[in-house]
Amino acid sequence: MPIIVNLDVMMAKRKMSLNELSEKVNLTLANLSILKTGKAKAVRFSTLEAICKALDCQPGDILEFVQKG
Amino acid sequence: MKSKTEVILIITNILAWLAVAGFIIKAGAILISYGVSIGNPEGAKNLYMGMNLYNLMQFDFWHYTGAVLQMILILGTEAYTAFLVTKVLSKIKIANPFTVEISKILEKISYFILAVWAMAMFYNAHMQWLAKQVPGLQENLFSEESLFIAGVVFVFAQIFKKGVELQSENELTV
Repeated sequence: MPIIVNLDVMMAKRKMSLNELSEKVNLTLANLSILKTGKAKAVRFSTLEAICKALDCQPGDILEFVQKG
Repeated sequence: MKSKTEVILIITNILAWLAVAGFIIKAGAILISYGVSIGNPEGAKNLYMGMNLYNLMQFDFWHYTGAVLQMILILGTEAYTAFLVTKVLSKIKIANPFTVEISKILEKISYFILAVWAMAMFYNAHMQWLAKQVPGLQENLFSEESLFIAGVVFVFAQIFKKGVELQSENELTV
């Protein structure tokens, strides 16, 4: 998929673990893992809002569009 | 407490198992009667619940054998199709009904119903031809409406496929 999820990069920048983020955004570890590994097919605005709030960043810091081919 | 749909599915599953048993019993009874009729031609007068192919046996043994084998083949395919229905009904979960496995079985069911239709058409044509050759032959034709049912099940299978896609998308929405 040409949309890349840079959640792991932002988490590393903020020195936040997956467990910590999971507690802050009120998402299960399994769902966060789906998002982190790029397996997710869609992200709710509410989830994006919670992640941006927890990591103090913009949606563009987490999602990136990369042209393929 | 089971929901109304779950109760309906359980009842349908029981009915499907009864259909499997019914088809197998009918095919088995015809096969056994056929075996008996080889030794005692009088057996062909009542193959199954009054089915009389005695005239056909007297006309030509191989046409008689062909007709019986076709009947057994059709009944066997119908039994297997009913078994596939029981498989669908036992595997389906109301919370997450759309799975690739069930979608594949549904598609398979439509192909088997189509096969039943093709075999029934062939059998009916064979029996109608024989009826012209053998006076007083009891035809015992199969229903030819299964083509329509096969089409309907195939359409359902295609819609179900879309359901599988939607469900997986929903599961992968974070």
